[in-house]
Amino acid sequence: MRAIDAGLLICHECHQLNPQQPGSDKQFCTRCGGHLHARRPNSLVRTWALLLTAAVLYIPANLLPIMTVNSLGKGQSDTIMSGVIELVNYGMLPIAAVVFIASIVVPTFKLVGIALLLYSVQRHQPMSARQRVLMYRFIEWIGRWSMLDIFVIAILVAVVNFGSLASIVPGYGATAFASVVVLTMLAALTFDPRLIWDNTDSDDHHE
Amino acid sequence: MAGPALSEPLSELELKQLIACHECDLLLRKPDAAAGERVECPRCGYELYTHRAQVVRRSMALVLAALLLYVPANFLPIMQLNLLGQATEDTVWTGVLGLYNSGMQSVAVVVFLCSMAVPLLKLLCQFAVLLSICLDIGRSYGLLLYRIYHHMREWGMLEVYLMGILVAIVKLIDLADLSIGLGLLCFVALLLVQVWLEVTMSPHQIWEALSGEDAHAGD
Repeated sequence: MRAIDAGLLICHECHQLNPQQPGSDKQFCTRCGGHLHARRPNSLVRTWALLLTAAVLYIPANLLPIMTVNSLGKGQSDTIMSGVIELVNYGMLPIAAVVFIASIVVPTFKLVGIALLLYSVQRHQPMSARQRVLMYRFIEWIGRWSMLDIFVIAILVAVVNFGSLASIVPGYGATAFASVVVLTMLAALTFDPRLIWDNTDSDDHHE
Repeated sequence: MAGPALSEPLSELELKQLIACHECDLLLRKPDAAAGERVECPRCGYELYTHRAQVVRRSMALVLAALLLYVPANFLPIMQLNLLGQATEDTVWTGVLGLYNSGMQSVAVVVFLCSMAVPLLKLLCQFAVLLSICLDIGRSYGLLLYRIYHHMREWGMLEVYLMGILVAIVKLIDLADLSIGLGLLCFVALLLVQVWLEVTMSPHQIWEALSGEDAHAGD
């Protein structure tokens, strides 16, 4: 049985159970005072909006340079992918793999994964709820690691600062990339995982 | 964890005897958890709660340690770089300033929030919540601050920053003379203490202690 079927609302913030009061739009948690909703309001629409914005910004994030290395009058621009290729050329494969996963695999996987979750909930796809929930948790957990490249740029810009001898300047690709990471993290937060279970019958076995 | 099949249906039990899974909304009979035991949702496997011993005292010690480490971790040099007699230093703070001064204000703000502001605010919230439990004052503010803490949780990214430091070191090590500073040691220590604190400070017990439902929840 679901809590919602028993007329109970679970608080998002402190996980306290509250009896649902019929006829009132706004209800607050008796323990922590947080807003109560049976499901996050407009979860699907909001998640789609954030996801689509992130998908649009994903293009400049990968095409524009994220930083430019100036050394003795020569400038060399790096996009996310060329940074990875450079690491491979230096022979630093483990670090190249980490950067590749954090900056390219994870953002792409998140965009596709959240879209798939939304689609499966809206179309009542008979996908296994357990698989979808594992995917959701993985997306929620891994999202923050995409910030890696942004932090690397911050460190490099600060430390490689020798005037005309050598310096590193961040590019607009970094802004777009940071926006993609933040937007996909927000999309994962707005998505309500309980929607995955709402259109499956699997809860009968656990009463 | 569904509990013994007792005769009464779930909807007739009292609220105190029930618990619902935060991730899939499954309603359950509340299991009794002994110290150190972990309770999971039988349907989706989400961790419902873990019962830990001495939560408030241990968390307090860890919060104080983390707050002491915060300033050296963020303002002592993480690394120094020498190139043809010129030397530069990197701290978490100069990283933010460098981005800001090169025209990337929005990215600088994101880096500042994720690597400095949110980790500090999280620690301050946890400290205030623990103080409110220990001294039994300002419980309503404690509840509010603990709610704010839960919203900030995702956005503190110290471990990602550490990985960023490693990547930067690997990129620079062949190009110039690089030395590691004391700041890195403090940063790693801060990260470890903070992870330990998140594991120790079991939210379910803190909520119960804060709301006064169970005076000994934090013992």
